[in-house]
Order: sequence, then structure tokens, then C-alpha cells
Amino acid sequence: MGVRRPAAAGLVTRLTAASLLLMMTPGQVPAQPPPAILASCAACHGPGGNSQIAQTPSLAGQPKLFVENQLVLIREGLREVAQMKDLMAGMSDETIIALARHFAAQKPAPKALPVNQEKARLGAATAGKMLCGTCHLPDYAGQNQVPRLAGQDEAYLLQSMKQFRDNPGPGRDTIMAASLYGLSDADLTNLAHYLATFRP
Amino acid sequence: MVTRTAVVAAALLSLAACQTTSTTTTAPAAPAAPAAAAAAPPPAWQQGRTADQASSKLAPHAGRMTATPASEIPIANFKLPPGFKAEIWATGMPGARAMARGDGGKIYIGTRGIGRVYEVTDTGAQRTSRVVVDKLVQPAGVAFKDGSLYVIAIDKALRFDGIEKNPAVAPVDMTAAFRLPKEQHHNWKYIAFGPDGKLYVPFGAPCNICEPPSKEYAQLRRYNADGSGMEVIATGIRNTQGFAWHPVTKELWFTDHGRDWMSDDGPEDELNRIAATGANFGFPYCHANGVADKDIKKANPCEGVTLPVTTMGPHAAVMGVHFYTGTMFPAEYRNVMFVARKGSWNRTKKFGYDVVTVRPAADGRSAKIEPFMTGFLNPQTDAFTGRPTYMLQLPDGSLLVSDEQLGAIYRITYGR
Repeated sequence: MGVRRPAAAGLVTRLTAASLLLMMTPGQVPAQPPPAILASCAACHGPGGNSQIAQTPSLAGQPKLFVENQLVLIREGLREVAQMKDLMAGMSDETIIALARHFAAQKPAPKALPVNQEKARLGAATAGKMLCGTCHLPDYAGQNQVPRLAGQDEAYLLQSMKQFRDNPGPGRDTIMAASLYGLSDADLTNLAHYLATFRP
Repeated sequence: MVTRTAVVAAALLSLAACQTTSTTTTAPAAPAAPAAAAAAPPPAWQQGRTADQASSKLAPHAGRMTATPASEIPIANFKLPPGFKAEIWATGMPGARAMARGDGGKIYIGTRGIGRVYEVTDTGAQRTSRVVVDKLVQPAGVAFKDGSLYVIAIDKALRFDGIEKNPAVAPVDMTAAFRLPKEQHHNWKYIAFGPDGKLYVPFGAPCNICEPPSKEYAQLRRYNADGSGMEVIATGIRNTQGFAWHPVTKELWFTDHGRDWMSDDGPEDELNRIAATGANFGFPYCHANGVADKDIKKANPCEGVTLPVTTMGPHAAVMGVHFYTGTMFPAEYRNVMFVARKGSWNRTKKFGYDVVTVRPAADGRSAKIEPFMTGFLNPQTDAFTGRPTYMLQLPDGSLLVSDEQLGAIYRITYGR
């Protein structure tokens, strides 16, 4: 599957900001995330976490644990998201939890999209065959560590599924990667359209 | 206090950043879809799932990657036999699983998804921890021998020489010598050195149920410490995540996870004993105490198979095995086996979520299994708060228990 391995830097023994934090007792999670950080999130992920930029995922209504875990993976460099590297560097677990709680509480407001009935029908068939609704739930709202798919940005869904299928990096869920074994680009395109236009 | 200007500036800055990247970043060129698409196996977690299970919402439970403060750990829920006490010994290590103790007393702890290995230093009054190495692919396997820490991730084998005295030591990369196969599923490791000085390393079946794709899987191997001299010592093992050697007989005992999607009640997980090398433990044809597989069939599926000493419960997720050799616990615990059961996902009502003692009968074909540490699961609500995974005995005879869900280590003591 051509899985890329972590860069050699990952082998270097080091005291990261994260590891220094471990030496302290975990602190209180703030009621609200710092406004400056929220503003940075909104710049790409849109107002209230509803993305207005293609290929950028919406965060509104994502399960809290999913957001927490992804932010940790991005902070640790296990999941490479270049745009977020500086923002996440050294961010405390408490701030991450506050951000996750904030976005989980936002109301998803997916953009109205023209529905291509044929693509949606084929995508629905693939979703049924692959049992996506077991973990993502039948309304694709997600749960726990499993993300909401309903109304997610279409280009992001497609890119994300291709990454899982072709090149799942370290820290990505091997179960999700395996769930896409054998699906063609056309299958993923239809699936992305079905999920992006899905309205419970 | 954050000024409004700062907020706006930050927002503009990141907007610029994401605009730049959204116009210049292209998605990585997608390789051609796998040629043998039609023959591709279903994902491991749903292999063997029947049509009537298609609407099931059973799915593997979420791990947690953020630190859980001690104040959020429901320590008061734990129940132990009279005279035993549990305390929170260390916290703030998301994903903490198997533990190995250094010669100087530092504890090394492996993880899966978060990719870290932790080091805990006990200063007497309190514990501090640091990350020894990160960004690894599920570095679950940790072992310590002759001053060196051994870490085995799914795709990497590393040795940190003299790490207790030299915390910044660069690792020796032994990956090539261990010849780790490429499939990831069930190939996160528990590792341990045996009384023979060899390093024991399991290679799980990369599926729920299948004929393994090559002879590299569904087995337990041992190596010299440098990765040379590999021997396959047992086959037919689906996924062992824990083993230990009996302190008197020196025989190896290991846990093995049963397959999913056959039924709520089975096939049960196993506790096995290796009396001689070369034994076959049945996967994929024969499970638990002689249960034939429903998908992968052959005539006489259990012929020549070494059956478990005891089954350990349906979907229990049997993890670490520890033989108690200390003197702090009452004498009846000497050489008694402790087994951690991380707890089920592929079962309508949850099972496990405890640490049990196992006392095999004299005939070696059955055992008395009794709860030792419970309270991770609330049977009324069927909700769990923690998931016990491994045990480590300290020199004073107290027993550490790791909780992978909460990233915490508990210490069990007995008060005379």
C-alpha cells in the first residue's frame, strides 16, 4: 500500500513541549477556548466551524472525542496538516479539549448543494455495501472517535478517503483504511457526493 | 488578556495561510486503484459478519488521546478483595499499555495510536513522566534487558542503550534484523524477554478471520536480542497481546483474542500454555475449546491443535499475564496468574473490563477464574470508564495496573 513511514526526526529522543507538559498535573479545562485560537480556526474552517473553503473540513457538530484525537495527532506530527502546524505546536491538552467541546456544540450548517441523483444513488449503494453506518451511524452524524460525514465538504471527503485508501499515515485508523480496500476512484467520488449532500 | 487587535491579526494570518495552501496544495496524485479490486478482502473488523449482523452498531471502542487528570479518574469505583487497596500511581500518559521496568527502576510504557513511549521516574513522593520517543506506528512493545530499552512498533525495532543514565541516547535501529511484515492489523506487539534470554515477539493475523496472506502471520516468534536467530515457536495464534513464564515450571503462558462476529457468546478468548515449541493453536480453523470456524473450513479442524488450558470469556480482549512472585500479597497469591481483560466491543452486553486471577486445575485442562480488580465497567448502565491492560510487579511486591483508556497507572497494595 506504499505506507509512508515517519521521518527520521521521529526517532530522535527529545523533550517536546508535550512531554514537558506531562510532568505537570493536568490542569482545568477552560470553559471556552482562547478567542485568538478560535479566530484562527474560523479563518479556514469557517464561522462556527462550517467550512466555506473547498477541501477544508467542517468541524461543527463533530464528535468531541474525534476532534480531540485529531488535534492531538496533528500536534504530535503523526497527521501532517501543514496549515495547522504552527497553531498546534505546544498546544495543551486542556485547550484541545476546550476546542473539541466548542466545535462539538456548534450546529452544522452545510451548504446547499445541487444533488446529482445518479452519483448519490451509486454512493448510497456503496455506503450500504461497506456498512459505513455501523461506525458513522445511519445518519452519518458520527460518534465518539468516528467523524460526522453528513454534509461534510465534498472535496475534502474525497481527498480524505483517497488518503486512507492509498497512503494512510501513522496514527490514522487502520480499521478505516481497511474499510476502503478495493474501492475505485469512481466509488469514492460517488460516496463523497452522497455523504456531502446527505441531509438527515 | 487577549486584545482585539491580536485576535484580528491572528485571524488574518491564518486566513492568509489557508488561502495560500488551498490554492497551491494539490491532493497527492492518487495511485491507480488496486488492480484486484474484486478480490480485495473486506476490512478486518467486518470480515465474517453475517447478513443479519449488517445493521449492528457494534464497533471498536474509542481510545482517548488527551491526558486525563487524576481528579477525573473514578478510583473509588474499584473493588478488590479485602485488604487490598488501589491508588493512582501515575497519570497523564494517554494510551499507556504495556510496562517494562529498567534496572534502575524507571518504568517504560508503550502505546498504540498516539505513537509514544513514556518513561516514568518515581521520586518517592511522586512520579514524573516524559516522552522517550514519539511519531512511531503503534509502539506497543517495550522490554528492558541489560541496561537497554527495546521498543517494537509495527514497522520498527529500536534499542536505547543505557537510557536510564543517558536520557538523550539515540536509538540503535534494528528494524532490518527483525524482518517485520507489512500488514498492520493485529501487528501491534506485546514483547518480553524469556528465561532463555530471547526476545519473544508475536505476529497477529491481519484480519478478523482469514487464511493469513503469508506464513509470516498468526504466530509467536523468538529472536536473539539483536534480531538474529529468529525461530517460530508456535502457530495458529490469532492475536496474542500478553504472555509470561511460570516462575517454577518456566513454561510460557499466553492470552489469545477470539474472532468476532460469530456470536455474542463466542468463540471465547483463550489462555494457552506452551509445553513444547512447534505447537499449533488452531487459527483460523479451530477456536477456543474446539469450536470450528464458520467461514474458514476444513475437515477435522481441531486435529493436531493444542486447545487452551481455559477459555477466558467471550470477546473479553484478554491482555497481559503476570505471575505474582512478591511477598506483599497473602501467601495464597504466590505464583498465581493475573490476567487483564480489556473488555469487549463485539458483544451486545459488555464483558470483561477487569483483572482476574487464574488458578489452573491440576489436570491442566481447566482453571478457577476469579475477579480481582473490578469497577471499570458499570453493569447497570453497561458503560465503561477504564480499560485495564497490563500488570507490572514492583520490588516491594505491589502490583501496577495500566489503564489504556485513561492513560493512568494504578498501584495495588495489600495492607497487613
